[in-house]
Amino acid sequence: MTKYILRRLLLTIPVLIGLSIVLFAFIHLLPGDPAAAILGQHATPDRVAAMREYLHLDDPIWQQYLAYVSNLLHGDFGTSVINNQPIIHEFLTRFPATIELTLAAMLYAVGVGIPLGRFAARHAQSWSDGAVTIVSLLGINIPVFVLGLTLQYIFAVQLKVLPASGRLDFSLRFDSPTNFLLIDSLVARRFDVFVDAARHLVLPAIALGSIPLAIITRITRASVLDVSNEDYVRTARAKGLTDGRVDSRHIMRNAWLPVVTVIGLQVGGLLAGAVITETVFAWGGVGRYVVDAINNRDYQVVQNVILIFAFVFLIVNLIVDVGYAFLNPRIRYA
Amino acid sequence: MAAPAIPATGRAIEVRASRGLWRDAMRRLLRNKPALLGLLFIGIFVFAAVFAPLIAPYGPLEGTLVQRMKPPGGAHLFGTDLQGRDELTRILYGAQVSLLAGVASVIMGLSIGGIAGALAGGLGGWVDSVLMRVVDVMLSIPGILLAIGIVAWLDRGLPQIMFAVAMTNAPIFARILRGSLLSLRNSDYVTAAQSIGAPPSRILLRHMLPNSLTALIVAATLALATAIIDVAGLGFLGLGPPDPRTPEWGTMLTDSTKFLRQAPWLIFLPGLAIVISAIGFNLLGDGLRESLDPRLKR
Amino acid sequence: MTATAPVPAAVAAPARRRPPDNRLLSVEDLVVRFRTHEGAVHAVNGVSFELERGEALGLVGESGCGKSVTNLAIMRLLPKPAGRIEGGRVVFDGIDLVTLSEADMRDLRGKEIAMIFQDPMTSLNPVLTIEEQMVETIRAHRKASRAEARKRAIELLVMVGIPRPETRLKSYPHQFSGGMRQRVMIAMALALEPKLMIADEPTTALDVTIQAQVLELLRDLAEDRDTSLILITHDLGVVAGMTQRISVMYAGYIVETATTAELFENPSHPYTVGLLHSIPRLDEERAEALLPIEGTPPDQRRAPRGCPFAPRCAWRLEECWTDNPPLAPIDGSGRVITTGPDATHRIACHNPPTAEEAIAGRPLREGFVAAPPPDAVIQELVTRGAEEEPALLDEVVLMGPEGPESTAPSAGGLPIEPDDKP
Ligand SMILES: Nc1ncnc2c1ncn2[C@@H]1O[C@H](COP(=O)(O)OP(=O)(O)OP(=O)(O)O)[C@@H](O)[C@H]1O
Ligand code: SF4
Ligand SMILES: [Mg+2]
Repeated sequence: MTKYILRRLLLTIPVLIGLSIVLFAFIHLLPGDPAAAILGQHATPDRVAAMREYLHLDDPIWQQYLAYVSNLLHGDFGTSVINNQPIIHEFLTRFPATIELTLAAMLYAVGVGIPLGRFAARHAQSWSDGAVTIVSLLGINIPVFVLGLTLQYIFAVQLKVLPASGRLDFSLRFDSPTNFLLIDSLVARRFDVFVDAARHLVLPAIALGSIPLAIITRITRASVLDVSNEDYVRTARAKGLTDGRVDSRHIMRNAWLPVVTVIGLQVGGLLAGAVITETVFAWGGVGRYVVDAINNRDYQVVQNVILIFAFVFLIVNLIVDVGYAFLNPRIRYA
Repeated sequence: MAAPAIPATGRAIEVRASRGLWRDAMRRLLRNKPALLGLLFIGIFVFAAVFAPLIAPYGPLEGTLVQRMKPPGGAHLFGTDLQGRDELTRILYGAQVSLLAGVASVIMGLSIGGIAGALAGGLGGWVDSVLMRVVDVMLSIPGILLAIGIVAWLDRGLPQIMFAVAMTNAPIFARILRGSLLSLRNSDYVTAAQSIGAPPSRILLRHMLPNSLTALIVAATLALATAIIDVAGLGFLGLGPPDPRTPEWGTMLTDSTKFLRQAPWLIFLPGLAIVISAIGFNLLGDGLRESLDPRLKR
Repeated sequence: MTATAPVPAAVAAPARRRPPDNRLLSVEDLVVRFRTHEGAVHAVNGVSFELERGEALGLVGESGCGKSVTNLAIMRLLPKPAGRIEGGRVVFDGIDLVTLSEADMRDLRGKEIAMIFQDPMTSLNPVLTIEEQMVETIRAHRKASRAEARKRAIELLVMVGIPRPETRLKSYPHQFSGGMRQRVMIAMALALEPKLMIADEPTTALDVTIQAQVLELLRDLAEDRDTSLILITHDLGVVAGMTQRISVMYAGYIVETATTAELFENPSHPYTVGLLHSIPRLDEERAEALLPIEGTPPDQRRAPRGCPFAPRCAWRLEECWTDNPPLAPIDGSGRVITTGPDATHRIACHNPPTAEEAIAGRPLREGFVAAPPPDAVIQELVTRGAEEEPALLDEVVLMGPEGPESTAPSAGGLPIEPDDKP
């Protein structure tokens, strides 16, 4: 087990190195003088010189790379050319909003997807299974922004039951120290804020979670069906166990495994999808930060957000793989 | 001990199987109702793209502000957009952009990924290790974020968009091709072909490629669905074609979001066009997978 | 259906030598079909057999002939919703299992009838320990504390010869070898002292060296407990020392049934003869090539018109193509004994091989040629083949007028193995 985790950790290292090389190239292969390119319209001779210095552009390329990595390891992600703020600072203030959104979307996807997949498997080939299949087909093929705008139109514009965008009603005036609105409001016992923040969260979470929901539903259905045909399930029935017991102990315990892996893989899609969802719902997270950065040609911001998202994705999958090993004795005792 | 069975008959059936693989697959596909529905959707999409200039009632840039945001009906079946242009016309022309960008990016992705996968699976050794680590790195950047980064880096433009979307698909194709090449290299019938002295090129062409091909065809069809969605997504983020007048579905949506209340059709109709095209390729891809590999059928 | 075995006669004239209540199981005219996209699969077509308490019966036949399906039907474990019992009765200990409620059936499974499956690698749940799997079996049927059940599990593991059972209980299936896993399966099957054990090819997936050990264990444990045993296999060699009686199945029919000694002594159905010739006989020194049975079992998506074995049979007569012979006593005697050491030798055949022919493995009669299919049959095969299954056409040519012993090239242009020539 420890060996497995170690090996899994070691496998992540080359990916991290590769990632840093790619993102290093992203900046340093910018056409023309990278320093001038980064600064764009804000380029003054002074600033260009400072930037050249910061990027070590006068050193050999490998030293430039080492400087980049060393900066990263020291938590220095550069400064935004727009407002001169350290990028890491901007990032950290916005990231909680993105985490809140992706977690809510994931909860929705898992909480609905797994029961739905089990239901479809249990009624395989019936009309209700067909309905689930169609819903999941739609879920996979509706782009986040189309679904988001549709939800806005139905629930905010027409029915007026949920807010269309933003994270909190302006009138509520709440200072969130960590920017985890849901947690901060509870800590501060501002339940009105909590409820309002939760209501703001519903539509974006549904929009963002629909693709993972569809995929988790599909994989759960397929996995439950697969496992149901396994010999050991027949053995369990032949032993005279009740259907409920066969289902919970013999089928689900095994059917979980591929589902867990897929859930981990969905985290990447969620982070990427958050970029679009935050744009649709004016959600002040990292996603909008990066879109703004693209429009402002703030390359370093784009570079670092990609790096951090990829890093988070890798870490989550590392955790998921370790969790998988815990669930699966064939790995645990390998 | 194996059950008694005559070898000759077994062989006869196998010969038949390899000869008729594609025909059988086609026959199964045509019996697959979801796949047929997918083909219908794709047909509509391709038809719209190819014949847009002929069937569109207006020109894609034709319109006056006086005519803006007319609801569907009357002279404008799908209404008009913010500039008073005919929405139906723009959706039809938008199919051109989507189809072009989608197909081009998948072909590009297939070429890049195919070469990488063939090298990795065919040569093995350190080439394989290095290429697969590169693939890992690219796959570690989630989905459209990679495309966003590439477009941000290369600047806006249709070729850039195609390349960006291609790069999100290429690692997937590379993995598939490598995987199937590796599993085939060790499979019984390639070993058998080797043992009767078939030349390697023949083994690759006659035995390995057709089998890897089926996996790639399925993946490419499914990738077309994601490509259409990703291209629209880039457009929606403002990273679409540089000329803002280009009828691109995602860009058309962005422009209209502010008028969701007044002109919802400007959201729903292009949205529907994206969804239908994507579903078409998805259904076809699933159908192809089932018909090319009958063992998968449930 | 023409293939119905003369069961009513058997029931009407039971063997009086043992008390009638000694009968544990009687399967009467069992019919099982699968509904699939391509139509119904006629998996079991009217199978009847009986079993006494303590008796061991071998069920033998090629892959796909319906052995597993017959026994899954007895257990009512046919894959749902495709598989269905469409006719017949399964009377176990006086109860008809076919009409039993699901809850009662569940109580019976594992407790009264236990099953051991072919592949011990896949028949145990990989994510549960052996202890969890054994204890849950015991506690599903008996009010026992976890500790009591655990004690019983240890006893059982000792019984099947697993060393250090206390520690082994904590292991997961993948930590056992194939043979050990099958021992665990046997221990689990015996946990509740069932009256009947069904072992479906229990050693096929095991190493040859371990097969004999596991079979012996199974036989000894069953004999000790007076547990009845149905042993399924496609290898006649396996059942030889294991069972008192053998039923040979083909295409969902029982085509021959006799005591084990009688069957080996006097095989009387062409299919049984074929099976015997396709296994290496250790007792025969002749360096004679094995004679595989030509062709493959019929497509069971259609009920055959005549004898299901006809397309592959060297003894067939013209009527074989159109009339399916019923299972009848070989000597034509009226009295049929269905179980026990004096069970009647019965076959379903119009033209049984003689003793010499059985030894030779082919008809010896002067000028005898297996009857070609009548035009109507060819016509049916050709039209059916053209529309859905070109492979069937190969079979017609392959098994053509000259009979299976000929070397007519198959449709694929590949000659039949030269060994097959007499
Ligand atoms: N789930 C199923 N759906 C359709 N047909 C089935 C199914 N299971 C079994 N059959 C069919 O029923 C017939 C009998 O199968 P069965 O498994 O009983 O054979 P068997 O004698 O046990 O063979 P083996 O030696 O391979 O275990 C076969 O023709 C098979 O194709
Ligand atoms: S002789 Fe006729 S009845 Fe007997 S097995 Fe052959 S074909 Fe069937
Ligand atoms: Mg079987």
